[in-house]
Amino acid sequence: MADVAVVRSPDIKKQSGFAFIAASCVAVLYLPMLVVIAYSFNSANNLAAKWHGFTTSWYNVVLANGEFYDSAILSVIVAVAATLISTVLATAAALGTTRGRPWRGQGSAYLTITTPLVVPEIVTGISLLSFFAFLSTVTGIDLGIWKLILAHSAFCIPFAYLPIRARLEGMDTTLDNAAADLYATPWKTFRYVTLPLLVPGISSGAALAFIVSFDDFTITQLIAGPGETTLPLYIWGRIRRTLTPELNAMCTLLLLISLAFIVLSFVLSHRRRA
Amino acid sequence: MLNVKKEFGHFQAVDHVTLNIEPNEFFTLLGPSGCGKTTLLRMMAGFETPTSGEILLDKRSIAGLLPNERPINTVFQNYALFPHMTVAENIGFGLKMLGRSRAEIAPIVEEMLRLVRLEGAGDRPVTKLSGGQQQRVALARALAPRPKVLLLDEPLSALDLKLRQSMQIELKRLQAETGITFVFVTHDQEEALTMSDRIAVMSKGRVLQVGSARDIYEHPADRFVAGFIGETNFLEGAIVEAKGKVARVRLKSGADVAAAMAEGLPTTGDVTIVVRPEHLQIAADKDAALCATVETVVYFGTDSHVHLRLADGSPVIVRQQNRRDGTRPPDVGAEVGLSIPDGVAQVLKD
Repeated sequence: MADVAVVRSPDIKKQSGFAFIAASCVAVLYLPMLVVIAYSFNSANNLAAKWHGFTTSWYNVVLANGEFYDSAILSVIVAVAATLISTVLATAAALGTTRGRPWRGQGSAYLTITTPLVVPEIVTGISLLSFFAFLSTVTGIDLGIWKLILAHSAFCIPFAYLPIRARLEGMDTTLDNAAADLYATPWKTFRYVTLPLLVPGISSGAALAFIVSFDDFTITQLIAGPGETTLPLYIWGRIRRTLTPELNAMCTLLLLISLAFIVLSFVLSHRRRA
Repeated sequence: MLNVKKEFGHFQAVDHVTLNIEPNEFFTLLGPSGCGKTTLLRMMAGFETPTSGEILLDKRSIAGLLPNERPINTVFQNYALFPHMTVAENIGFGLKMLGRSRAEIAPIVEEMLRLVRLEGAGDRPVTKLSGGQQQRVALARALAPRPKVLLLDEPLSALDLKLRQSMQIELKRLQAETGITFVFVTHDQEEALTMSDRIAVMSKGRVLQVGSARDIYEHPADRFVAGFIGETNFLEGAIVEAKGKVARVRLKSGADVAAAMAEGLPTTGDVTIVVRPEHLQIAADKDAALCATVETVVYFGTDSHVHLRLADGSPVIVRQQNRRDGTRPPDVGAEVGLSIPDGVAQVLKD
């Protein structure tokens, strides 16, 4: 009886042309990145030159470059701060929109939180820029580096919110009932039951927020004050000077840092679930 | 112990229910799904607030208390074990929340593991346990803080038949050993009959009858209770004569039957009488008061169910014990006589 179902179910992987389309998708996604990585080992002086020979010297150049370090450190500081702020706010928002009694406007709250995802980045950037300009003319306060951190936190919130909310929705609310039934106050229920089970959602939300902040260009370009050069801004600036494989090396390192954070959050969430 | 009403919008989930549950009792709320039994249980636990009415525990109102402030624990239908904790951490959770020290909790957890026969499983993650074992952990977790009342919300419904039957005996044993009041919710009449000291049969938000298993089976208060608990035969007729607690009822098929009648029922007019299948006897002679045709015979091992049809078209089931002395159920299509011994039929309130 069981094999009847197996025979009848169509397998998309058996369709003709599937392998070709799959291979094309993978190529479009990863070939450009592979080229960047490969050419970071090119010994030619010019970015656009043909393959000349293998060298790791461009990495030595990058790692000896003080400006690269400064901008990388700034990027990490901004990304870590924005990740912390946006993840905490997103967790609170996710709890508010999934737990407790349903309230009027819950649906619109969900839209309000996630709409920034589809607002063009340039619009978000300009509006943040004018907001900060308005703030400093009215109050005379210049927030300095905090402008960048707050701007990043703002656009990271929906990215952090979605995985956390998804995890909360998948969680059995009778667990909260069970904790309350076993004498846990609402705070203890959160501390000992909800939060530990939410860790995978929070860590993937935080990882997304980190990546989105770490490689943001458009908004950062508009908000960043003098001297606040993040890594993407620095690389962009360098393109307008000399085009050497040093750029490829920088991009490869940027990719590595991003990957390291994704892997870290993946490992963290899977260790919890096991 | 409680007298409550719960409305969801215009829907009355629990309608003026008054129950008195005794200490150390195994009390069962029995009814079909949607009858309000789970809502009633959730009100006792504190997850629902009654629209009106009182819930008293030891003569004190607990209606204003949050779930975590009530000395009442629940075994949930899906167990609701904390998946990120070990068996021991699950069992010790209630005590930990009550602020007991680790040194106090450990021996109690050990005792609970012994009680539910899971010795040595304390360090295992609950996600690695079988359904039956998870069930035991859920029980141990709810019993560990020694609540005044233990609520069980259809806890056996996810288990297979064999496991369910052994857990029924296990639950009864646990209740006797701990002396805690158990309030058990189920839609399974067999579960209710085998375990309970007393049963409340519910339908559409109301309690129809409260009594021991024997009371409810042998003296059902009305048609719903009679039909819900066990198999039964309903026979239509009219009262010919009513004397005290016995009425002579003339059935539509013409036979006269003596049936027990509760006080306060009308002593004339059309009535329904109820007879359990095991109380009817198939007589060899066709001249008996009731005549019927055999339609189907179903063999059940210990007994056979004989489905018959009376002359007026109403169906009747007779349960016959299968003995080794050569008596056999009648053949399909045979015309047989039925006799109803005195005292087994009962007039029903409609």
